[in-house]
Amino acid sequence: MLENSLFRNADPDFFAEWKEQTGVEVIAEPLGYTDIPSKVMGECVAKTGAFDIFNDFPYTQPDAASCGVLMSMDDFAAKGQPDFSGIPDAFVAQQKYNGQQYSMVLDGDHIMLVLRKDIVENEQARAEFKEATGKDLGCPATMADWEEQAKFFHTEAGQTRWGITFEQPLYGAMGYRSVNFSHRHFPAYFGGLLFDEDMNPRINTEQGINAIKAFSSIVQYMPEDIQGWGTPQIYPFWRSGQAYSVMSFPSIFGNANATEDSKVKGQQIPCVIPATTAGGEPVRRAAEAAGTGYMINANGKHPELAYWYIQWLTSPSVGNRAIAHPKGFWDPYRTQNLGDPGIIEKFGEEFLETTMENAKYTTSLLFIEGHYEYMKILDDNLADVMNGNITAEEAAANIEAGWNDVTEDIGRDNQIEVYRKGVEDGLYVDKF
Amino acid sequence: MAEITATARNGDDSARPARPFQRFGAWLSQEKVFRWIPFVLVEGTLILVIVIPFLLTIYISFLRWRANRPFEQATLTGFRNYEQVLTDDGFWAALGRTFYFAGSAVLLELFIGFVLAMLVHRITRGRRIYITIFLIPMMVVPVVAGYNFSMIYLDSGPLNQLIAPLVEPFGIDPRIRWLSNPAAAQWAIILADVWQWTSLTFLIFLSGFSALPPQLINAARVMGASPRQIFFWVELPLLKPAIVIAVVIRSMEALKLFDPVVLLTFGGPGTSTQTIAYYLWEQVWQFNKFSFGAAASILLLIIFSVLIFTGIWLLTRQSAALKRERMQ
Repeated sequence: MLENSLFRNADPDFFAEWKEQTGVEVIAEPLGYTDIPSKVMGECVAKTGAFDIFNDFPYTQPDAASCGVLMSMDDFAAKGQPDFSGIPDAFVAQQKYNGQQYSMVLDGDHIMLVLRKDIVENEQARAEFKEATGKDLGCPATMADWEEQAKFFHTEAGQTRWGITFEQPLYGAMGYRSVNFSHRHFPAYFGGLLFDEDMNPRINTEQGINAIKAFSSIVQYMPEDIQGWGTPQIYPFWRSGQAYSVMSFPSIFGNANATEDSKVKGQQIPCVIPATTAGGEPVRRAAEAAGTGYMINANGKHPELAYWYIQWLTSPSVGNRAIAHPKGFWDPYRTQNLGDPGIIEKFGEEFLETTMENAKYTTSLLFIEGHYEYMKILDDNLADVMNGNITAEEAAANIEAGWNDVTEDIGRDNQIEVYRKGVEDGLYVDKF
Repeated sequence: MAEITATARNGDDSARPARPFQRFGAWLSQEKVFRWIPFVLVEGTLILVIVIPFLLTIYISFLRWRANRPFEQATLTGFRNYEQVLTDDGFWAALGRTFYFAGSAVLLELFIGFVLAMLVHRITRGRRIYITIFLIPMMVVPVVAGYNFSMIYLDSGPLNQLIAPLVEPFGIDPRIRWLSNPAAAQWAIILADVWQWTSLTFLIFLSGFSALPPQLINAARVMGASPRQIFFWVELPLLKPAIVIAVVIRSMEALKLFDPVVLLTFGGPGTSTQTIAYYLWEQVWQFNKFSFGAAASILLLIIFSVLIFTGIWLLTRQSAALKRERMQ
């Protein structure tokens, strides 16, 4: 298995169990998740058959399936009858591409908001916030409300507020704003389909421009280096207690509670994703920002064995144990996770209820060929807006032009067909 | 019986037919065959390693093919990919950025390497220790160097802590956003490259200093030249070939700058640290645009070849000039 290295510490337990049950040994080759898509595409060209299973984001699937390096699971699934009950529609739809099943998922990486409980429950802070805004403090209903809270709680070093002296600055907000990550949060601000049914981008509209502005505006309350940060920087910074709120992968909640020196241990409030008002009406959209899928290499030597391992690992009972595994990074995503004692112990009931509520608003990122290129165009332009190089309007026009180029280059007819099918299958929650 | 055994021991092989490899060996050792062996080996390797991949790259550059479709579906598309590359702002921006990075880094590496080599050449005690120390960065695996620099460049990291006492008295914010501010991130890449590859220029210059003919320097000294005059009028002209070698070798390498970009910034923030090597990698391995990448590679080959041949021409011109001076 070409393994996402995040799971290298947890997978061996499941490999051992599988070997005990079947006598089949799974050998993993761990690799950083940013490198796996190019490895998969390299395999598409080289056809070495060195791996039977690819373990990666579902977003690698469209390119990989189109080039023929992934084997359809349909025939095996007809025999195996996998149990997808309790899985939200967007996750089920992510297992398919262009009508065929190519993967099985085992991870709910839909983004959520986390607030600082010690600050939210500080009576003085609550009173001051109410006085300043006329609103009760708690999980924000909209992105604008979140920014309002971020602005209010953004505190410079040396200030004393609500009876607390801040030796270090308290940043009002944190979120992913670096290239390769911005696009994973953008759907929460856009709140709708990025293209119309003829694959015309909907970004260069009032909704798109509002979304870009909102996405960029809150950066002023985030740490100054946020554009260079990924998970290795964001998680420890959150744990250090220097931020009031963070929008992140859900694992940040468990990570901050489980880490010994965390200053926010037991001091977190999980929130459902705030609604965006970019399109007028408030809409909640929690993008499935990453996720973990298991796919079969069409050139592999043991495709059927690969399939049975994947179905076993992602089944409700084994999946529950994987999600509860203390060294794993799989996050809850299906209703069966709610009642599992191990998962409750690891994540806490409050978090579980919130993340499952959040799962209702889960939307896939763009799930068509050229995913990484479309998203890179978005990331680059968002970065330019955040750096003040261009306006939101200019960015929207650039993104529209860039996306059209990619669509034409890959083939508009093909993209339209696949995109429409994805929308019909419920990938994006929204419909045309 | 004894006679027969003795004959066998004496190895009367002429009675037995030669084995195939012996026949092959005999065939190879023929003068008319043997003289072709080096040619076939060298040319065969050249064809396998360079000519075939190069021709394949040219062929792919004329196709319309993304790796997310089977190669069998590729179609000939003429110069479309070349047109796309030449009209792509990203290509030119990455190329310009590469020259900026390479120019800045190579200049710093040349200057620092030269000064270090000059100092080490002049000292007599502990010379080997200094040489070893100054060569270490070059031997560090780029991934390790990149990881170390990502720690050094942290907002609250050691570099900013070192800078703080120097700039704070002037009211300047000491927290430089090394990896998130576009301009600072560019210099973060340049400085990481300078740290790692100044060792190479140091080594080249040190060998240049070691090869200086002492009789010329002694003669200048006897004739009353000051150390400054000796340096500028004797040593520096003699070091010109070493300087050109350092410039050519480092420029060729710096134009391929890739490791620190991936390890430190992934081309960001935005595209501010995207070099041409990173741009190509992204187009091919992230976006699967193999044909586009092939066309861009051919164009880059042309651009870089012009630069490299200019460098080599400078090198040979310097050598020729030096030879003429020595003859006179």
